Amino acid sequence: MRRVAVIGVGVTKFGKHDRTSAELFADAAADAITDAGIAASAIQALYFGNVTGGETERQLHMGPLAATRLGLPTIPTTRFENACATSHAAFRHAVMEIASGVSDVVLVGGAERVLHVPTESATEFFAYCSDASIEQPAGLTFPGVFALIARAHMDKYGTTEEQMAHVAVKNHRHGKLNPKAQFQKEITLDTVLKSAYVADPLKLFDCCPFTDGGAALVLASEEVARRHRRAIWVLGTQAASDTMFVHEKRDLSRVTATERAAQGAYRQAGKAPTDVNVVELHDCFTIAEIVATEGLGFFEPGTGGLAAEKGWTSLGGRLPVNPSGGLKAKGHPIGATGAAQIVEIVTQLRGEAGPRQVDGARTGLTHTLGGNTATVLVSLFGRD
Amino acid sequence: MTEQVINLKSFFEEARAGRLTGIRCGRCGELAIPPKEFCTACQQRDWQPVVLAGTGTVVSFTVIRVAPRGRGGEVPYAIAVVKLAEGVSLLGRVVDIPFEALRAGLPVRFRPLQIEGQTLVGFGPA
Repeated sequence: MRRVAVIGVGVTKFGKHDRTSAELFADAAADAITDAGIAASAIQALYFGNVTGGETERQLHMGPLAATRLGLPTIPTTRFENACATSHAAFRHAVMEIASGVSDVVLVGGAERVLHVPTESATEFFAYCSDASIEQPAGLTFPGVFALIARAHMDKYGTTEEQMAHVAVKNHRHGKLNPKAQFQKEITLDTVLKSAYVADPLKLFDCCPFTDGGAALVLASEEVARRHRRAIWVLGTQAASDTMFVHEKRDLSRVTATERAAQGAYRQAGKAPTDVNVVELHDCFTIAEIVATEGLGFFEPGTGGLAAEKGWTSLGGRLPVNPSGGLKAKGHPIGATGAAQIVEIVTQLRGEAGPRQVDGARTGLTHTLGGNTATVLVSLFGRD
Repeated sequence: MTEQVINLKSFFEEARAGRLTGIRCGRCGELAIPPKEFCTACQQRDWQPVVLAGTGTVVSFTVIRVAPRGRGGEVPYAIAVVKLAEGVSLLGRVVDIPFEALRAGLPVRFRPLQIEGQTLVGFGPA
């Protein structure tokens, strides 16, 4: 297999937009192509991610629409949907198209737009990512899924609501340093702990927001990337799945798909958790960050809450997690999130992250979780 | 025989009548809900339907306070993952148990619920 690099990145401001998903993606993609310093005509294919366009914009077939908006109407396109892991899944397939020798330059990313519909509608559409036979009729929501996980983690390890709150406070502190973040405002532990319950024990400030936004990456083969001074290499990328049914998870305090995807990505990269300098991971809810830091091998099972409390995952700590502000503060446009996480890691590894730069970062990891922990992707990136 | 329990329609028809149905692998004994084609444990396709007692204990639970569209009138409501006496688990709505009494290990019993013509899995006091 050929080596693959990221040679261009682009991301819109996250928050509320009055532009369509296809427009948001095209905006980010044009920035990524400009950043790569290539002609738009060099793009040979588009892998595009979007989840709720059919419900929120009455728009399907968004792959060619995005390419048309971009001014590249004739390139082959494919639309991906893997719940919140959508554009990370698209990324893995784009990598494989180049690694296999089919193409040399591929555009990948995604977009989502939900803030123009009422919150209860967005909650319903997101719930479509859980099973429609047992879970949706019971009234299970995504905060509900992670509340079940949180309760299991608290019962098994003694993890506290205050430790979860530390994750939110830290990610808001990081988000303040990111001009693209939806929330650029610090919050206190008290703000989190006194916010209303959404699904006990998760409160409003344990939850990431609904977000509009787009993100894009230009990927290239080694031969093309060698001409680029700022190329960041894809060292490994692995997907893993788990049962769609929450009741079939063997241990609700773990996300085994994260553990399996991580093992595969580390093996491909020839790296261990201790080699990683900076991480963007899926903190859709504060407990999700705690469980992910354990599943990715950074902290022992049951100590993710302590790591958050002690500041080990803060900028300046042992292993900075979500320097972008994460899904919690940067925002979570679900079709764009996986690509946006990679944008941040590439920016970090280039040393271009400004006030949120992790000094000397050489190896970075992204982790994206889809739906009720049934889809997970983990990728590793390096400067060489 | 197997066909009767391998589709969701019959699972919910049985549930509506108060019978919780599972399937047991004829090769390795693995129990599953809902029906599926291959046994996750041994990859064989040799299911036998079994009627489950419907009793179990709470594994984890939450109280939903922000509901999807159309469900707003139902909040707050509790959802739990319940480990059934036979060893297989199932997720459902908890009814007739005060939220403050919910805890891991609490005994509960299956009961079918009907909301707007749709059958859903419910659990009430044991």
